[in-house]
Amino acid sequence: MLRSLRCAALLGSLFLSASALAVDIDQASYGFPLTNPFEATIATTPPDLRPSLPSDDEINQSDYTLNMRPEREFSLPDNFWAVKKLTYRIAKQDRAAPLIFLISGTGARFDSSINEYLKKLYYQAGYHVVQLSSPTSFDFMSAASRFATPGITQEDAEDMYRVMQAVRAQNASLPVTDFYLSGYSLGALDAAFVSKLDETRRSFNFKKVLLLNPPVNLYTSITNLDKLVQTEVKGINNTTTFYELVLNKLTRYFQQKGYIDLNDALLYDFQNSKQHLTNEQMAMLIGTTFRFSAADIAFTSDLINRRGLIIPPKYPITEGTSLTPFLKRALQCDFDCYLTEQVIPMWRARSDGGSLLQLVDQVSLYALKDYLHTSPKIAVMHNADDVILGPGDLGFLRQTFGDRLTVYPLGGHCGNLNYRVNADAMLEFFRG
Amino acid sequence: MAKYLLLLAALMCASVANADNSKAHAPTVVGADGFKEPLSKLKFNPGLDQREFERSSLTALNVYDPLESWNRRVYHFNYRFDQWVFLPVVDGYRYVTPSFLRTGVSNFFNNLGDVPNLLNSLLQLKGHRSLETTGRLLLNTTIGVAGLWDPATAMGLPRQSEDFGQTLGFYGVPGGAYLVLPILGPSNLRDTSGLVVDYSAESQINFLNVSEVSSNHPEIWALRVVDKRYQTSFRYGQLNSPFEYEKVRYIYTESRKLQIAE
Repeated sequence: MLRSLRCAALLGSLFLSASALAVDIDQASYGFPLTNPFEATIATTPPDLRPSLPSDDEINQSDYTLNMRPEREFSLPDNFWAVKKLTYRIAKQDRAAPLIFLISGTGARFDSSINEYLKKLYYQAGYHVVQLSSPTSFDFMSAASRFATPGITQEDAEDMYRVMQAVRAQNASLPVTDFYLSGYSLGALDAAFVSKLDETRRSFNFKKVLLLNPPVNLYTSITNLDKLVQTEVKGINNTTTFYELVLNKLTRYFQQKGYIDLNDALLYDFQNSKQHLTNEQMAMLIGTTFRFSAADIAFTSDLINRRGLIIPPKYPITEGTSLTPFLKRALQCDFDCYLTEQVIPMWRARSDGGSLLQLVDQVSLYALKDYLHTSPKIAVMHNADDVILGPGDLGFLRQTFGDRLTVYPLGGHCGNLNYRVNADAMLEFFRG
Repeated sequence: MAKYLLLLAALMCASVANADNSKAHAPTVVGADGFKEPLSKLKFNPGLDQREFERSSLTALNVYDPLESWNRRVYHFNYRFDQWVFLPVVDGYRYVTPSFLRTGVSNFFNNLGDVPNLLNSLLQLKGHRSLETTGRLLLNTTIGVAGLWDPATAMGLPRQSEDFGQTLGFYGVPGGAYLVLPILGPSNLRDTSGLVVDYSAESQINFLNVSEVSSNHPEIWALRVVDKRYQTSFRYGQLNSPFEYEKVRYIYTESRKLQIAE
């Protein structure tokens, strides 16, 4: 009898755990207007469907700098003077309030447009907000990263944790009730690792952590992004390069409109005009911005570590030195090239060898599977048509997070973060 | 053997025929876990070895910049000046003035700027635009009380900037060497001479008597400069790249081309 009861209990718990299903938002009731994932990624939500937010004038915010790596003052060349100290932005409430850290995505600085948007959203809801650059960002790499070779997520998270502690120390008098953490894209992956680190270091005891569109398998994500510049784009020929093609379209668009008007609705409006870009062209555009990030990362990492792959280690650089030849070289290096030429050799040297598969396992969400599975404070919001995911990644998230995963049917990569429905869900998560 | 060859040939033909179809309208296949595989909507080049990104970017880096070393130094000077002088002053300005006053100041100087806008629209024989800018000047100077308000924009006459650099470009004058001007930022030979012409035209016309008064009262000039920085959203370091100089140079060159073409 007792045994069958036990069996029943086991079965029951199995069913229960199976019933902790992810929240899938139905496309019909979701109401997000952009069904094309590339369009959503580039243009994001049409302005009238965004939440109403405070203007910059209404926010009590300022930029501070941290001197995390004093030796860089001397080891970095002169024309890096602006990034020898790490800048971050903090928006303060005039009373005791919870504080939320926001981590930027791939190659983005603390003031990237998504981070600015999230800041306004949370500030309006009564949080102190700290905006941080991504560990892959140029300024973070030069001012705060120990190895300046981002990609080993565990190490990046440790750098990030130190920065957060320094931020806390610099604002010691700020009355903070609780700490929260969020990040988008690569910043979400960093946030997951930072949260794990906090379980042992206990500086913040994050009450809740929200991951927005994180990569699941980092290698899948960079492969997808590298691949985006390989689309077959119509209209490119011997006389017209891809940029010229896009600029010509933009010129014709403005000519038809009659005047130049740069505003939030521009991209959305442009895609609804005759000159709109095709899927392949949009993919190429997205791929291009990521290739420029890859070039920045590869160059900066090479320069700081003096590896001599892109720039000769002892090349004299002053403020007047042209960096164009090195940009030309760095442009040839995509994420995969950066990984194989710089990350893997360093990682092997520091960790007694190991294969690419092992590296991918260590730096992706897989490494935290058990932790994420058993931590009720961490939740994920993702999109079913996100370009940084591969087949099976959503399945992993479903298994790992259960009902703490919300899957939106549309939005591309981070394109629906500024949709009102998503904004409400984000605020609700931290409030509840 | 011949059979195999034939089969192979047929297969290759089929794949070529397939490759020509755009996949944009292919039905979305949803995976077992709900994943929509956005990349399956794209047509990739078969070898994944095209070098279009590299070709475009390397071509884009070809901007005529013989004074690069000098320009880069000025660029860094501007960066520092911006961080240590300009932006703190703008922040102070923002701190001591209420929002409506700042908008009024911006409107006032923008209204003055509509005079060169009108002149250059006329010089480029852009009839429609000249009429609109004339309308703006009339409305804003009268109903808008010397330009402090901007009723014209609300009435559907948006500000359309035209400067003498654009006029020169309109008649086919090439940009010439890229120049970074102290404090003013990126420019080129053509646009720098355009600036000089616009400036002297403005002081000749002496619209609303501002030019004459400000020669005795440099504080008007200072206010104008601060307002200009207040209205410009660009921040140094914003592009967040060790190659910001190259990127700004490209963006400036292309946006000027766009303004001229439009």
